[in-house]
Amino acid sequence: MAYRIATTLSVLLLAVVCLTPAVAAPAVAADIPRTSDGHPDLSGTYDVATLTPLQRPSQFGDNLYLTREEAQAIEDAAHARTRSSSEASDPNREAPPEGGDGSAGAAGNVGGYNSFWIDRGDDTFEIDGKFRTSIIVDPANGRRPPLTEEARERSQARRRPRRANTGEAWWLETGGQGPYDDPELRPNGERCLLGFGSTAGPPMLPVLYNNVKTIVQTPDHVMILVEMVHDARIVRMNSEHPSSEIRKWLGDSIGWWEGDTLVVDTTNFSTKAVRGGSETLHVVERFTRVDKDTLTYEFTVEDPSRWATSWTGEYPWPATDTRLYEYACHEANYALGNILRGARVLEADTLDAGSGN
Amino acid sequence: MRTKIAVILACSGLCLAATVPVVAHHAFGAEFDPNLPLILTGPVTKVEWVNPHTWIHLEVTNEDGTKTTWMVEGGTPNTLLRRGVTKNSLLPGTVIVVDGYQSKDRSNRANGRDITFPDGRKLFMGSSGTGAPRDGSDKTEPSTSN
Repeated sequence: MAYRIATTLSVLLLAVVCLTPAVAAPAVAADIPRTSDGHPDLSGTYDVATLTPLQRPSQFGDNLYLTREEAQAIEDAAHARTRSSSEASDPNREAPPEGGDGSAGAAGNVGGYNSFWIDRGDDTFEIDGKFRTSIIVDPANGRRPPLTEEARERSQARRRPRRANTGEAWWLETGGQGPYDDPELRPNGERCLLGFGSTAGPPMLPVLYNNVKTIVQTPDHVMILVEMVHDARIVRMNSEHPSSEIRKWLGDSIGWWEGDTLVVDTTNFSTKAVRGGSETLHVVERFTRVDKDTLTYEFTVEDPSRWATSWTGEYPWPATDTRLYEYACHEANYALGNILRGARVLEADTLDAGSGN
Repeated sequence: MRTKIAVILACSGLCLAATVPVVAHHAFGAEFDPNLPLILTGPVTKVEWVNPHTWIHLEVTNEDGTKTTWMVEGGTPNTLLRRGVTKNSLLPGTVIVVDGYQSKDRSNRANGRDITFPDGRKLFMGSSGTGAPRDGSDKTEPSTSN
């Protein structure tokens, strides 16, 4: 029986392999647009949204590849979720449940907003004709290496003052600084200082929405404009990093050409900007134009204070004819004021209750 | 039967909630109070087409006949612009229904957990005639705003 199943699976696998269209050969270097100095022209606007996750779901183990059918199934499921969430609601619905609606993550028990505001992409990506289970390709399990002991302790220490707003002003009792005492204690994304989720990186990773990047290239500099919070990365070509006292929010990036690949080396990160805070972070990115409509973006991240080994990922950046819109985050960042005022109201209520008023 | 429907709706809500990513511009849980749920119905008075989040203003008539203007937080306008939705797609006077939670500072602000037309159709979703922005290509589109 087991043999028969195995045989059937083998036949199916063979059928899948045979039905899979031949892998398109990468464009020869001569076919790609070039600048007047002969280097590949990377300039353009790209939408990097993808349904393929950064880290591989555990059910795929060490398998880097999805079959075309599996990739299609993921896309179908995502589209079905979109259709489902687009369906009409009960016109006579009542208010959501008191005590919260059970939402997790950023939606923190109160829900977020309808899915039409979200743009996580419509498809999974393929490289060299093969669909991937994750952006991360190394370690072999497609997941970031475990944190070092030092990094775990640092993360714990950071988390303590970030204890969530549970509806109780617990910080009044513990003494010291509370998480809502002033704007400087709030996350960089909430303060509109940097985009959330490593959207500007490096490494630059897909996020919930606003996944558009524009590259402007000159012989001396490459600028990468990131839509979220309009972070602009400036890469100095054939330069050197400044001394280690100089620290930058997006790190210091220098670049050079290795054949037709732009290599960008980034160090000198500020601990203010890097989640988990480390000055030993080092990121190497490789941009390769594979055809006139696509870049391949590869990156390797190393930080011995956070991970025992480096980790590497890659995913395509497809060109888009969409426009990159200004994301003037400070324009109307009412949320930050609401959050801080909400904590003040809670403190006043708590003190009133304590004094018997 | 009604209970069953409610349970199914709650489940579908949770299932969808489970897909909400863990990172976003800010934590909605820090801004809105899970103990202050509300449902609001009324005409749109203004749409603040701003970043990082769009805010839709609507005028709600209270039980005593007085009127209160509420502000409802949506997502970034950039995404909608790419889908052809503009600030003219939700005109003042359009009646909407919003369910969400009030801001923890107890101002008249809420998250737009679900924003629909009075018949339940989602804003900006679906094909022509179901709230999608009009581009003039569908002759069956109503000429007045939803």
